Amino acid sequence: MVKRALRYLGHKVIGRAVLLHSFWRIAVVSLGSFVFRFRRNRAAADVLLKQIYFTGFQAIPIISWIAVILGLVIVTQSLSILPKVGGEHMIGEVLVWVVVRELGPVFAAVIVIARSGTAIAAELGSMRISREITALEVMGIDPMRYLVMPRVIGTAVSVFILTFYFETVTILGGYLLAGFGKRVAFPVYISSVLESMGFLEVGASLLKSVLFGLIIGVVCSAHGLMVEKSITRIPQETTNAVIGSLRLVFVMDAVITFMFFYI
Amino acid sequence: MGPALIELKGITCASEDGVVLFEDAHLSLHGGEKALITGPPASGKGLLLKLIAGIERPVRGTVLLFGKDITGLKGSELNGLRKRIGFILGDNILISNLKVVENAALPLIYHSGLAYRESMERAFKLLDIVGYRGDPWALPGPLPPYAKKEVCVARAISMEPDIVVCEGFSEGLAGPEKERLSTVLAGYHGASPGRLLVLTADDESEAAFFKPDRVVRIEGRGFKEA
Repeated sequence: MVKRALRYLGHKVIGRAVLLHSFWRIAVVSLGSFVFRFRRNRAAADVLLKQIYFTGFQAIPIISWIAVILGLVIVTQSLSILPKVGGEHMIGEVLVWVVVRELGPVFAAVIVIARSGTAIAAELGSMRISREITALEVMGIDPMRYLVMPRVIGTAVSVFILTFYFETVTILGGYLLAGFGKRVAFPVYISSVLESMGFLEVGASLLKSVLFGLIIGVVCSAHGLMVEKSITRIPQETTNAVIGSLRLVFVMDAVITFMFFYI
Repeated sequence: MGPALIELKGITCASEDGVVLFEDAHLSLHGGEKALITGPPASGKGLLLKLIAGIERPVRGTVLLFGKDITGLKGSELNGLRKRIGFILGDNILISNLKVVENAALPLIYHSGLAYRESMERAFKLLDIVGYRGDPWALPGPLPPYAKKEVCVARAISMEPDIVVCEGFSEGLAGPEKERLSTVLAGYHGASPGRLLVLTADDESEAAFFKPDRVVRIEGRGFKEA
């Protein structure tokens, strides 16, 4: 019994280590080929632009809706509580704490996982099954450089831009919908937000967005490439990609928050 | 006969299921040849192509491409040799998220250093040469097998490779279609004296239209001249 339990545990630990190693390898190869070999490659640049268009640009409508609604909720809640304690002037700080430090990068990442992470895993999985990746290999085209790197970098760039956009729309949209006509004037609102936004807040938000984007690109690509032989593996690996991305994004969020705002 | 472009020396190799398909097998294919390699299904034709492409490694023996041992090669060195071979894989595999003309132009855009516009112009010309009459801006998914094969041929010859390898060339093609595409391939082969054209098929009758000047059978875990 104990032996079986240990064997099971051992399998799990080794499996996790192999998975993390494949994530690490994809991240290193992607960043390496982006930094050192990207300039000379028009084909990979096309894939990168398509990825940014799909992950970044096409996500704008859904991101806008969610940002406006979230802004409405946060500003409404803040304006219903802060005046009671005489803290209307703190509206900017509350927004920066909630939106810029935490919710902006996390919401952008979650939306990208749902929209594009699943698409990346499913697309690479089906390319594996239909031997398109083999076709690239025999043409002398490195799938890591042509397929994976643009997806990883494209996702990182998109999450970075979407985070900035999400935070802006949440702060502005929230005021327009919930704060307009209330006790806080717009110039006061904006200056309160800007005053509360220090290097630490912006730095943490930007770092989170880039790292979350890299995590999503790497994890979803890795799971897509793990599909082998059976088409039924595609939905399974897509689910694993979503769960794996969410898990790592939240762990990374906690680590960065702890590093920036606790230590 | 030109120099040996593909050489398999004493290779031993098994399939993914662990079945040994080649044991101490030797094969040399030379520039200028039009070779047909036959063997029943699961005899090792696919494995042979993977060995030539450097996707599979033999347990023993060496595989030489253009005189260079590829068994230990990786990365850009191996890709540098692969781009000198045009592969036409069975099932007419095209990149599903690229348009037809982008598929034909992909090796040029990736490898050649030509400007994007030039690569695309060349791809249009190649599609014309192989007789593609469909929409060059269509995605390849819904195309009939014959049209897909045409695009595969255009892509395979786009880099003007010294070797063209076709896997199961006649699969899914009707008589006149086979004739026409094999004429295109024969024309490409004959345009330069040192080119090697290799086809694989289950038996000779399947590739009669191809008129090979050499037939090699996969038999008894090795290669035998027919």
